[in-house]
Amino acid sequence: MQPLRIALAQIAPRLGDLEANLARHHELLADARVGGAGLVIFPELGLTGYQLQDLAAEVAMRLDDPRLSGLARATAGLSAVVSFVEESGDHRLFIAAALLEDGEVRHVHRKVYLPTYGLFDERRFFSPGDSLRAVPSRLGVGVGLAVCEDFWHLSTPQILALDGAQLLINVSSSPGRDLAASSEVGLGTASSWRTLMRTYAQLTTSFVVFCNRVGVDESISFWGGSEVIGPGGGAIFSAPLFDDGLFIADVDLADIRRERITLPLLRDERPELVSREWRRLIAERAGLARDSTAEDGAEDGLDVAAEPGPGQPIGFRGTPDPAPPARSRPRRGAA
Amino acid sequence: MTPPGRASAVDADGTPLFDLPPELAIDTDVARRVIADFIRGQLRQAGFERAVIGLSGGIDSALVAYLVAEAIGAPRLRCVLMPSSSSSPASQADAEVVVADIGCSSEVVDISPMVDGFFGVGASAGAAGPEGLAASHLRRGNFAARMRMAVLYDRSVTWAGLVVGTGNKTEALIGYTTLFGDSACAFNPIGDLYKSQVRQVAAAIGVPEVIIRKAPSADLWPGQTDEAEAGFTYPELDRLLFWRIDKRRSVEEVVGLGFDPAFVARVDRMVATSEFKRQVPPIAKLGPRTTGVDYLYPRRRPGSARG
Repeated sequence: MQPLRIALAQIAPRLGDLEANLARHHELLADARVGGAGLVIFPELGLTGYQLQDLAAEVAMRLDDPRLSGLARATAGLSAVVSFVEESGDHRLFIAAALLEDGEVRHVHRKVYLPTYGLFDERRFFSPGDSLRAVPSRLGVGVGLAVCEDFWHLSTPQILALDGAQLLINVSSSPGRDLAASSEVGLGTASSWRTLMRTYAQLTTSFVVFCNRVGVDESISFWGGSEVIGPGGGAIFSAPLFDDGLFIADVDLADIRRERITLPLLRDERPELVSREWRRLIAERAGLARDSTAEDGAEDGLDVAAEPGPGQPIGFRGTPDPAPPARSRPRRGAA
Repeated sequence: MTPPGRASAVDADGTPLFDLPPELAIDTDVARRVIADFIRGQLRQAGFERAVIGLSGGIDSALVAYLVAEAIGAPRLRCVLMPSSSSSPASQADAEVVVADIGCSSEVVDISPMVDGFFGVGASAGAAGPEGLAASHLRRGNFAARMRMAVLYDRSVTWAGLVVGTGNKTEALIGYTTLFGDSACAFNPIGDLYKSQVRQVAAAIGVPEVIIRKAPSADLWPGQTDEAEAGFTYPELDRLLFWRIDKRRSVEEVVGLGFDPAFVARVDRMVATSEFKRQVPPIAKLGPRTTGVDYLYPRRRPGSARG
C-alpha cells in the first residue's frame, strides 16, 4: 500500500459567504495538489461557516449544484472531503460532508447527531441524517465519514469500522470552551476531543483524521487542533490550536494491517451479540418487554430504581409521591 | 517558576497581587489568543479597523485596552477618559499611565457639564428642574454612565471605530451595571471572565500593578468601593457564581461547600432580579416573522459590513 500524504485545511470560513469559501477551497485544493497530497480535508460547513441560523436555507446546495460539481472536477487524481448545507429534493436541510474523488461526488454523509443543547441549536435548523456507511476510495482503503457530534456517540466509529472503514474522517466546527488552567492544553474541549480520537483509533485499529476549523462566528471561537491518529492510538500529527493553514501529515497505510494482525479487535467484535442486546434494550425501553435484571420500581428500560430527590417521578395525580419507599413503588407499563 | 500561561499572582516581593480561587484559574495564553481573534473577527465582520474604549483607570477597561492593542495594534485604539467632578483624581492618573504604556491615542472629555446641565449645580437648577438638585447617588451615577455611553458612541463616529465593552462577568451576573450605560458596546471581549479572572489575565498581559491592586470602584462618589458597597469580596462572589452558574450546583450543594446560606440567597436574588439587564428587550409577537423570535440571523453576514 502507498504512503499517503494528507492535507488538513484548517481554515476560517466566512460566515454565509459561499462564493468566497468556494474560491478558498479551490485555492487550497491546488496548493495541496502541488504539495503532493493524496487526500485533502476541509472542516464541517467549510463552504458556508457554522453559525448560520436562518441563513442555512440561503446557502444550501442540491447535490447537482454546479458549484459542487465544479469542486469535484478539481479532484482529478485526488480525494477530498468538503462540507456544506445540503438541500434534499423534499427541501430538508442537512449538514453534509462529501467525498470527492477523480472528478466525482463519490459519497455524501449527512450528519446523524445534531447537538441541540448548551450553545448548540442545530436541530432547529437542520434535519438529521439516517445512515452511516463506509465507502471504498481510490486510496485503496475504506473511508468512513462523520461530522463533529457524530463522534460523540460511541457507535459511530464502531459501525463505520465494521462496515469496512480503515480511515475514519471527522470534519468539525468545534467551539472552544472551558479555559480551566487545569486542562492539558488549556482548553477543555481540546482535551476531550484528543481523548476520544485516540480511543477510537485504538479500538477500531483505524486511522482517525480530524479536521477542525478555526476563526470566529459571533461569540464562538473554533480551536483547530486538527489531528491524524494512527491505528495504534498514537498521534502522528497535531496541527496547532487556532492557526489558519493547510497542514500536511504523511501516513503509512500499511500500519492498518500491522495493527490489525497484532491486535485483532475487529476480528473479535460480536455484531450479532451487540445487535441482540440492542433489540432487547429497545423493547425494554418501550415497555414491551420485562427486564429480568431490573429492581422493583425501576422505570422501563432502567435497571435501577430512582432515588427520591430532584429526579423523583411524578405520581399519578400529578403531584410528587409522598415519599413512599422507592423500591416498593408499582412498576409502570407491562410486566 | 510560573508555568507558561499561568499568570503569577505574586509580585517581586512574593506578596500576592490578588486572591485567585484555584477553580477559577484559566490558561491566560489561550484566553489572550481567543480574545485577540475575537476582537479582529468582530471588527473585520463589521467593516471597521479601529476601536474606541472608555478608560476609567480601573482594571476592567485597562485590561480591555491592552487586549485591543494586542489584537490590532495601539495606533488603531482610541481611549477616552471621561472623569466627572465625583471621580477620584487618582483614577485619571492611572488611566494616563495605561495610555502612556500602551502608546495609543487618547483624549479627556469632562462629563461634569453634561451631568450638571441636567441635575443642576449649587443652587441653580438644570434641565431636570429644581427637584434634580436633590438627585440621589444612584440617579447621578446612572446618568453619568449614560453620558459616557453617549460620548463613546459619538467618538465611534469621529474615530471610525467600534465601541468595545469593558464589563466583566461578575458585575453582569449580579446586575452591577447601568443599562444602556457602561454595558452598552458593539462587542465585549471580557464579558465571560469573572473579576478574579480579569485580574489573572491583567497580570499576565502587563496591566500596571497599581491598577491590579487597588480596590475596584464604580467611582461614583469619593471613597466608594464595590466590595464595601456590596458587603462581600470579589473572590468569594466569583467562587459562588462559578459553582452556582457554571457548575450548576444547587443551593444545598453550595452551602455544603461552605458558603453562608444568607450570602447564597442574596446573590441568587441579585442574579434573578437583573436578568433583564442581560437580554435584548422582548418584542410583542404579532407578525409572521419577528426579529429575535423566529427571524434569526447572525449579526454579520455578507453585505452587512460597513463599506
